[in-house]
Parts: sequence; structure tokens; C-alpha cells
Amino acid sequence: MTLKNKDFLNPVGKSVPRIDGRGLVTGQTKYVFDLKLPGMLIGKMLRSPHPHAKIISIDTSKAKKLPGVKAIITAKDTYGIKFGSNEFFFPQTADQQALESDKVRYIGDELGAVAATDEETAEKALKLIDVKYEILPAVFKMMEAIKPTAPQIHNARNNIALILPTNFGNAERALRESDYVREDTFYLPSAAHTCMEPHVCIGQFEAFSDKITLWTSTQAPFKVRETLAKCLKMNLNNVRVIKLAVGGGFGGKLEMLPMDFASCLLSKKAGGYPVKITYSREEEFSFSRRKHPMIYKLKSGVKKDGTLMAISGEVYADGGGYCSYGPTVLAAAMMRILLVYKITNMKITGYRVYTNNPISGAIRGFGGVQSGFAVESHIDMLAEGIGMDPIEFRLKNITTPNMITANKMLLTTNGLKECIEKAAEACDWKNKRGKQKNIKRGFGIGIAADVMGSKMYKSHESAGSIIKIEEDASICFLTGAADTGQGSNTALSQIAAQELGVSYERIKITSADTGITPFDTGSFASRVTFISGNATKLAAHDAKMQILKVVSQEKNIPINDLSLVAEEVINKKDSSVLMTFEKAIELCYSFNYGQQIIGRGSYNPKTTPVDFRTGEGNVSGSYGFEAQIAKVEVNTETGEIKVLKMWDAHDIGKAINPQSVRGQIEGSLFMGIGYTLSENLQFKNGRVVNANFANYRLPRSANACPVESILIETNDPEGPFGAKGMGEAALLPTAAAIANAVYDAIGVRIKDLPITPDKVLAALKSQHD
Amino acid sequence: MTTLNINKKTYNLDLYGNETLLEVLRDNLKLTGTKTACDEAQCGSCTVLIDGKSFLSCITLAKDVEGKEITTIEGLSSEEDLHVIQQAFLDNGAVQCGFCAPGFILSTKALLDKNPSPNLDEIKKSLDGHICRCGGYLKIFDAVKDASKKITNHDT
Repeated sequence: MTLKNKDFLNPVGKSVPRIDGRGLVTGQTKYVFDLKLPGMLIGKMLRSPHPHAKIISIDTSKAKKLPGVKAIITAKDTYGIKFGSNEFFFPQTADQQALESDKVRYIGDELGAVAATDEETAEKALKLIDVKYEILPAVFKMMEAIKPTAPQIHNARNNIALILPTNFGNAERALRESDYVREDTFYLPSAAHTCMEPHVCIGQFEAFSDKITLWTSTQAPFKVRETLAKCLKMNLNNVRVIKLAVGGGFGGKLEMLPMDFASCLLSKKAGGYPVKITYSREEEFSFSRRKHPMIYKLKSGVKKDGTLMAISGEVYADGGGYCSYGPTVLAAAMMRILLVYKITNMKITGYRVYTNNPISGAIRGFGGVQSGFAVESHIDMLAEGIGMDPIEFRLKNITTPNMITANKMLLTTNGLKECIEKAAEACDWKNKRGKQKNIKRGFGIGIAADVMGSKMYKSHESAGSIIKIEEDASICFLTGAADTGQGSNTALSQIAAQELGVSYERIKITSADTGITPFDTGSFASRVTFISGNATKLAAHDAKMQILKVVSQEKNIPINDLSLVAEEVINKKDSSVLMTFEKAIELCYSFNYGQQIIGRGSYNPKTTPVDFRTGEGNVSGSYGFEAQIAKVEVNTETGEIKVLKMWDAHDIGKAINPQSVRGQIEGSLFMGIGYTLSENLQFKNGRVVNANFANYRLPRSANACPVESILIETNDPEGPFGAKGMGEAALLPTAAAIANAVYDAIGVRIKDLPITPDKVLAALKSQHD
Repeated sequence: MTTLNINKKTYNLDLYGNETLLEVLRDNLKLTGTKTACDEAQCGSCTVLIDGKSFLSCITLAKDVEGKEITTIEGLSSEEDLHVIQQAFLDNGAVQCGFCAPGFILSTKALLDKNPSPNLDEIKKSLDGHICRCGGYLKIFDAVKDASKKITNHDT
């Protein structure tokens, strides 16, 4: 093949164009949203209108008679199997059925589904299904739900699905020994993922092979397959889950939803016709997944010299009707504190509470966003309490490279100090902070750390890749990793080309099809570049060694003396070029050798198991760090906050594709600005009241402030070419950085998000009173 | 019979009359490059050009645009060459998941046709009807400025 671009040799570290870019900008790329199959039926979910009720009976006889209705399913058609996303570690959290049989626990809870020839008929049929309920008292506030008198939602005492303690050292004693102790409570609202492509799926059953195929807009096709196979009592290889292009995930597309299950079962019942279910924007806001509202009660102490002695407190998370990813969201939220601060005394107890609100689950940052706001605001207040600059205070207490945290997390590379210093330098912190009150401008900082894929999701956290080199020296690269728009197909192809020693142009990628590609747990926990990247590097290395073995035999040169770099096989002894990559492949496929080149790689990060009774364990193979500074302007007449600029210094190990890295930082950061200033998924008696883009306010072009991102390359020894994951960390410190800047500007402290003009004005008023 | 002129091709369609242009494009004509993320005129993903101006196809009735020149994302480039705006979106890393991209690209086309050298405020204002959840707009602004530069250099 003709290679056009020299830049595509040694592609790691270069901003090569997206491997899937042309299709995306021409509208040719197909999402499941766009897919139409022959004979396709339209499916709709039957949902509970009540937040809490017993299901007495479901009569589908009238709906069945409606012309155009092809299949109706309820719990009677299922095995009634319960599932939960964290059931591997917490079996009691397997609390949801694909279609509920006895009880409904939130408005929208699924208890059946219909497939018909068109959408209108399917909707009409839903209305003809007669469900008799016995309405039960419901509870919507988590602090009420934990009272013994509250309605019991599941078989869980005081509606507490799970208690997660984090307990190291002796926090009580350390607080007694502190010079300054303070207590703060923070309130974090719910938020929506708002992927541009809604949840959508097509299920098809093949009777002759007893096989299910599910096309679904997912971040984790193998996780969806696992749950689907469990609920349908099928073998994994009889369930094929295919991911096409995905219009965003952000944690909302990590699980099998009842719609995925229903489309498959409806197809089976309808005689094998494919069944498509598409969420409307309202359904997306109301019935998919949402961010956990949380309450953080923190009590911490410091010495006069700035030593952080202890952090303690309680965290409550409103989980809604079912567990979903709740337990690990809560666990991750707490562990992140220990990644950032070198504390030996920590005692925080987390409570995951059932309510009759919609289900809370994973969302970008995995609990770290809530934790980031609470802890980083609290840290600023502690620093102020002893009269120390917030940056100086942080620099005194942060974790360092090559250390083991109190809970036994192993930090190898750690660029946190450099992140803070570089961000402070870039914004001229020394001269600006605390000195601009006359014009109501302020600077604030937040810092964060993130895990790069952790074994808190499953027993293993592995990824697999296969690299096939074809007879014409073109390359088929198969990975289980699920690109949901972040660009992992591109980054992984860069890693493959770099390790193999060929041009990026040679690679065509097929990803995330459980029937074709190797296993991968999915796109979450900023794990793909790190874990799937390592699997890909191993596969490319394997393929390379197979090629070099053939060349070694042919040329009678020891294989250890050979290397393949930038399309050339080189004799390292005398740096001579032995042959081109294409000639080497020709040799592999020649009459004498007939050697297929199929490289394989499987990678599982080096971690230690987590003890969820204490929070001890090394959850991740590497950790990413970052510091963020906000510059804001506050209008004291209107209460309006304008973010003027953000600085983000990020330890990403190594930027595989710097442009993509900056894109991830900016995307995370704007999501963070939205959550800080305007986003708030609101509920009334368990029903979402702002389920549209007009009333759920996302950042738009007009709100976009300049961002200066500073990439810090610490070259992680375990990362592929030194890279760490980085898709989420830039979202964690944003809210605190802005809130701390608001405090610097006007001297008022807002402890509940979002920071709306109303809250600013009220706080200013009470400051004057 | 409704006659629509889309991407310089003529389509004769048998419609009830209440179909939106979005439905006709996606369902009848399989032009699925036009997306929708809300179906209620709040996200900009369904943007198409009608006589060169950007319109939301989810609230435009197909029968009302008879005789007008309709351009969708599929009509912007030839098989071989990307439009300069599409190329600029790629070069500047303005596309992540891509779902909102057709809408942004077409609104950019409408903007640059009218005002080939917009300043940042003008860019922000003309794209404010669009939601991008992945990227955070800055790279889109870069792409618009880049395309603007290439278009004006080409003209002079």
C-alpha cells in the first residue's frame, strides 16, 4: 500500500487525525440510532406511574388484540433473575429484575414491554394494558428514608443498601491533637449524562441457532452481554452484543438496561423480527440513570504548621430504587481523598440509601465529582482557619511519587506537586489571589486524582487485543475496547502502530463486538488508554516478534539483534536496514514460510484486592493527578458568576494524542462548569420535573470560557509508552475551584451546588446582615 | 405529491402533510446524517440548510419547504473531498462522538457564507443553539476560525 503521510510513522505523541473522522464529519457513520433492519418492529417499555406500589395483576388481553401488536412481555415471560452491577463484590446489591414482578420502586420502573409494527400502535397498546397496583407509601428524601419508620423499599434495614466504612489510623485522637478543627456539610444535587445519542437498542433472536444479537448504544458491550446472558439463561457465546458508533456515554451506558433485555425477548416472542427501542429525550432524563445526590458531612483537623491531621465524617448517597453501580461510586468517592492527601487518620462512613427516586448510577467521575467539591472546598476553609494560603496548604499535605497511602494504594509516578505549581504559575496566583476584591474577581483552586481502571467492578479488569497482518501488509486490529466518542479507536491504533513499528495508515480497527473481538470490560474509570492500551501494545509486540522470527531465520541473524522501527527491519548490531516492513510480510507469507501473523495481547492491571470493610487495597495499576484553577467574576447586583478562565495542569503520564487529551480535558471541565453553575436534575415526589434541554441547563457556546491545559508527562512505568488514563479527572476539581474562586471574590461560601445567582445573592445578604 | 430538492437531487414524495423534514430525511430518504437529540428544537442536532440558512428540521414541515434548496450534511462534500469546514473540524479535533457534528458544521456553513470572517462573539452567538456534550466548544471555535481563514485566503 502507498503511504501518504510521514507523520504517521512513530505516531505516539502526535495529534494524528481521528481514525473514524471522515465518517463522523460527513454524516456517514452509523449509530444504532440510525439503524433500520428488514422487518423491524418498534418496542416500548411499560412503566410504573407510581413511585412505590405492589403489582397486583397485569392484564394484557386487550392490548394483544390490537392490530399491529406483535408481542407483549411481562415478568411472567422471564426467569425473574435479579441482577446488579456490583453483585460480584456485594451479592445483596443484585436487586433489580429486567421486568419487575412483585413491586415497583420508582416512577418509570419497568414491568413489561410491547412490540408493534409502528410507534403509534406500540404506544396505544401500552395504554390498553391494565395493571392493578396497591399503592404503598413512598419516601423521597434520603435522611427520611434511613429512619426506622420509613417505608421499606427493599429487604434492607433502614433502607440502607450498603454501609462502606473507610477507617485508617485514629481520627478521633488526631482531631483532639489538632490546633484547628472544623465541620462542614455539603449538598450535591443530581445531574444527567445527557448523551446526545439517547439509549437505543435493537434485539434480534435467531431461532435456528438459538442466538441473540443486540445492537446497543453502550460503553460496555461485554458487561451488557454478561447481564443479558444471565437474565436469559444463555451461554455467553450465544449472545452477541454489537456496539456501533456511540453518541456519548459518560457513565450512563455502562449497564444492561431493561430495554436491552426487552428488545431481545420481544424479538423472540415475535418470531425473530428485530425490535428497536429508542428513548425519547424525556425518557432519557427520567428513566435512564442519574448522578447520586449526596450529602457530605466532614469534620477535619489541622496543626498550626499546616499539617492535615485527620479527615472524618459521613457521606450519604441517594441511590433511588435500585443499586446499579452505587456501591462502587461511593467507594471510589472516598478513595480519591487518600490519593490526593497524605493523611494517616481518616474515618469516613458512606451510606448508600434506597429511596423512591429514579435509579442513581455511574456518571463521569464516579462519585469523585461530589467528593471533589466537598473535600476541596473544606480544605480551603481549613487553610483559611490557620491563615495559610490554599496552595501552600495543599503542597504541604499532598501525596508524593513512590509512596504507599494509608489504605495501601501504591502511587508510582505522581505529578500532583508539579500540577499545582505549574497551574499556579500560569495564572499568576501569587499576585492575583485575594487581591482583586474591589472588582469582584477571584481565583480558586481544586485538585484531584483519579484511578485508571480499578478492580472494583469485577474480579478481573482485563482487556484483550488481536493484531492480524494481512498478506498485503495492511493490518486488521481487533479490540474489545468501546470507543464512545472519546477517540480510543484512534489512540489504541496509534499504540499498535508505534509498538509494531509501522505507519498509523496501515491500521483498520474493529472494536467492541462480543462475537468478533476479544473481551474488554468497557469504557469507564479512565481505563481504556491504560488497560486496553497495554493489551494492544502486547498484541503488537507479539506480532512484531512473529515477523522478526521469520526474518531471523531467513537472514540467519539472532532475533534479539533485530528490530522493526518506522517501517524498516533493522539489524541493531550495525544499524543496517535489512528490508522494509512490506518485504518482511511478503517473506512471512512466502512459499517457504507461510506464516500468518496474528499477535495477541491480554492485560490485567497489577492491583491488590480491596477489603470493602475498611477500604484497604491497591485498586488501580496507575493513578492520574491534576490541579485546576478558576478565575471568576461575580456580579454582586445580579449574583451572576462568570468563569473568565480555567487552568488545568494534568499528569497524564504521556499524551498518546495531545489533541485528544486536550479535548478530554475541555469536555470534562465544561461538564464540571455545568454541574457547578447550572445543571440540577430536579424531582418532585419522585418525578423528574425538568426533563428537557430548556429546563435542564447545559453549558452552551456562550458560556464557554478559555481553558489553558498544561500536560505534565510523568512517564508511568506501567503505562503504554508511559500513558495514564485521563478521561474523567478534569471534572473532579472544577466545582471546588470555582466555589473557592467565588469565595476569593466576594467572601461568601456556597456549600450546595449548583451555585445559582439566587444563592449568591442570599449569601451576600446574610453576610451583610 | 410533494417535491423536495435535497442536495441538488429532486425527490417526489407521497406524504400525509404533517411529516417534519427531519422525519422525511431520516425515515423516507435514509439520510441519517441529520440527527436529533431532543426532537423539540433545543439541541441543534437536526440543523439543515434551507436556501443557505440554518433551520431546525425537527420543527420544519416537509411540505413547507417545497421548491427550496435543502442541504444536509450528506450534500456538503463529494465522495473524494471533504468540505473545507468538515476538514477544519477534523484537523482541530472538534469532533468527539460526532452526533452533534453535522448540525454544528451546517450552522458554520450558514455563518461563513454570510460572514466569512466572524469574530469569537459572532461564532459563539451563531452556534449557541447547538449542544455538544463531549468536547466543550473550544475546539469547535478553533475549527470555525480555521475554516474562515482558509475560505477568505482562497477568495483573495
